[in-house]
Amino acid sequence: MTTPALEAKGISKRWPRTGAVLADCSLRVERRTVHALIGASGSGKSTLLRCLGLLEPPDAGSILVDGALAVDQGVVAADRSVRRSVGMVFQEPSLFAHLSALANVSLAPHRVLGLDPESARNRACSALDRVHALHLADRRPDELSGGERQRVAIARALAMEPSVLLCDEPTSALDPLLTREVMAVLRELALDAGTTMVVVTHDLDFVAAAADSVDFLHAGRIRISGTADLLGTRGLDDELDRFLQRS
Amino acid sequence: MPRVLAPLLVLLATMAAAADDGMARLRASGIMRWGCDISGGAPFAFPDPSDPDRVIGFEVEIAEELAHRLGVRAERFSADWLALIDALEADRCDLLINGFEVTADRERVVAFSTPYFRYAQQLVVRAEDRDRFTSLADLAGRPIAVLNGSASIESLRSAGVPPSLIVEYDDSLAPFTETILGRVDACLQESFIAQFFAGHDPRLALVDAAFDPGIYAVVVRQGDDDLLASVNAALASMRADGTLGRILQRWGLWSDAQRELGIDRGPIIATIPEAIGTPPEDGLPWSLVLWSLARAAAMTALLTIVSMPIATFVGLLLAIAILHGPKPLSRFCHGYVLLTRGTPLLVQIFLLYYSLPALGAWLGIPELLTWNKVVVGIVCLAANYAAYEAEIHRAALQAIPQSQWDAARALGFTRAQTLRFIIVPQSWRLSLPAIINDLNSLIKDSSLVSMIGVQELLAVALGIGKASFAVPSMLVAAAAFYLVLSLLADWFGQSLERRARTVGTLPEPIHR
Repeated sequence: MTTPALEAKGISKRWPRTGAVLADCSLRVERRTVHALIGASGSGKSTLLRCLGLLEPPDAGSILVDGALAVDQGVVAADRSVRRSVGMVFQEPSLFAHLSALANVSLAPHRVLGLDPESARNRACSALDRVHALHLADRRPDELSGGERQRVAIARALAMEPSVLLCDEPTSALDPLLTREVMAVLRELALDAGTTMVVVTHDLDFVAAAADSVDFLHAGRIRISGTADLLGTRGLDDELDRFLQRS
Repeated sequence: MPRVLAPLLVLLATMAAAADDGMARLRASGIMRWGCDISGGAPFAFPDPSDPDRVIGFEVEIAEELAHRLGVRAERFSADWLALIDALEADRCDLLINGFEVTADRERVVAFSTPYFRYAQQLVVRAEDRDRFTSLADLAGRPIAVLNGSASIESLRSAGVPPSLIVEYDDSLAPFTETILGRVDACLQESFIAQFFAGHDPRLALVDAAFDPGIYAVVVRQGDDDLLASVNAALASMRADGTLGRILQRWGLWSDAQRELGIDRGPIIATIPEAIGTPPEDGLPWSLVLWSLARAAAMTALLTIVSMPIATFVGLLLAIAILHGPKPLSRFCHGYVLLTRGTPLLVQIFLLYYSLPALGAWLGIPELLTWNKVVVGIVCLAANYAAYEAEIHRAALQAIPQSQWDAARALGFTRAQTLRFIIVPQSWRLSLPAIINDLNSLIKDSSLVSMIGVQELLAVALGIGKASFAVPSMLVAAAAFYLVLSLLADWFGQSLERRARTVGTLPEPIHR
């Protein structure tokens, strides 16, 4: 059995004021697969993803990235190389407003990975090309549409060549037309390029078409895991039925 | 205010002073640093109205003659009059010659030489009130203007005038102007000052009979006995051989009362034109005056140009330390901001200038802590404004959304890298307009360093104005220079903002 790209065991998280959001969540993401996290709003999907992205320390549990321990018993290991191998795309693109699209993408390869400017730029250009945004390289973030911004943000994460790319509802802030544009890019990355991804999404069409595995979260727990076929089943779980009915 | 600090400074100074005697140091350096305030007005030591770069006055001549007789060269040290004794204590100069009346209060702090001039108090009223007010008694219940720190105050107090009716002004000219304008009904000044400013002005009249005589003497530090003895010997010979009498005559200050001090008049000579307190007939020599103002404006610009970038940078470091530093550092920096913003800049300038050398002497490193007055001015302005800039930077740093931090963290940036490459370049744009605002304000606040004798725009304008009876027009001229500097600052600020808006000029790895 090969080492999974990402593995989480027994992740729990409790906010001091509002109480538990995650309880004993475990998941395993194989290389070159797309893993979808679905569930109603407030089910804990985004928090789980932020824990996996090492942005939020869980209260308990461990996370392994490429077999390396990134979170051990709720404590984040301070190894930057592990952090670098997890890329993240947020609901809001959060582009660096003072930099051009190209500089947004090349800044981290240059400053974090230490590539020389020329190599960093080449890497950024190829990342932009993968999301069909190379023609936007010289634009400022405020000169881009919402969909374009999100594509640049995806390129920014890809340019670090992460072992796994985490996407937190990357289209939640976009209208349907722009949503299609961004989901098409993600689908392409998932299907053609063999990128390992964990995607939090409401877009069940995307899940059906691109996800290799699916976790359904309800009330902070992974209630049911399976393949994308899960979306076609009924009667397996009441909460899943209710969720699928509403979506 | 400054006098409040005197006990502290005296304490510091006495801990350090008297290590070596003043006279020995004078001989070693070949220089006699004598302190005076050149903005105090004529006829003491003041800018020559026909050539504002030259400082003239009867005390300038006394100082030069004194230095000559001590076998050294005279070097003038300028500072605000109220700060002069502190400057002496802090060893910024060796002695003071600037109309210091010998009083019991002062004798507790400093030592006085034998006298070089005798004065009396002279009451001055408006010409039309000549018959109404013929003595101090006629003015009962009316406000009377005086020069602050002068012996006139004590004279009025001992005559029973309540403190609320004694109105103090910062320079010799103002009490007369106020009398003319009618804000007060009279002013009391030392007789020759009254003669100088009011003697030739048809709007004013001198009330008969000067009273309450007193003497001026050279001020030295207590314990500088050797220096005091040398000064007294030199003054004695100047009194006896007619040199002092000649200087007093030149400046129209001679009176028979001077003989009581043992001053020989010497041959009769004429009063020089500069000694007659009238405005120059053909108006101010504007080309010279403007040249002086332009150079003073350059000093103001220098103070601003050097201190503001330091303040901006240090302010940024303070803001980062407050927001992101370890707790003790954060608290310390926050405390610095509170302390610096909460105390007057003037006090900070004063403390740094006069207590650092004393502290340095106490620590045994006097030369390390005795900074040039321009350096002290720049350090104070930068340190003070850094506290204000810190708050501007703090607000701007906090205005950058958390999502920018998240995005940077997800990419593997450290906190320092995130600040340097992502947060600060963005917050800088937000803080820029407020910083340019403060730059404008600093240009004008820089005039406070004139307190320690830096000849910046306002001090020079006032000095020329007082010496040539043209304070209002000199203030307008100074304001015009300030306006030009301020417009330049705005223009500079706008070009910075334009630059900050363009992508590619900010820290960016790619040079395309």
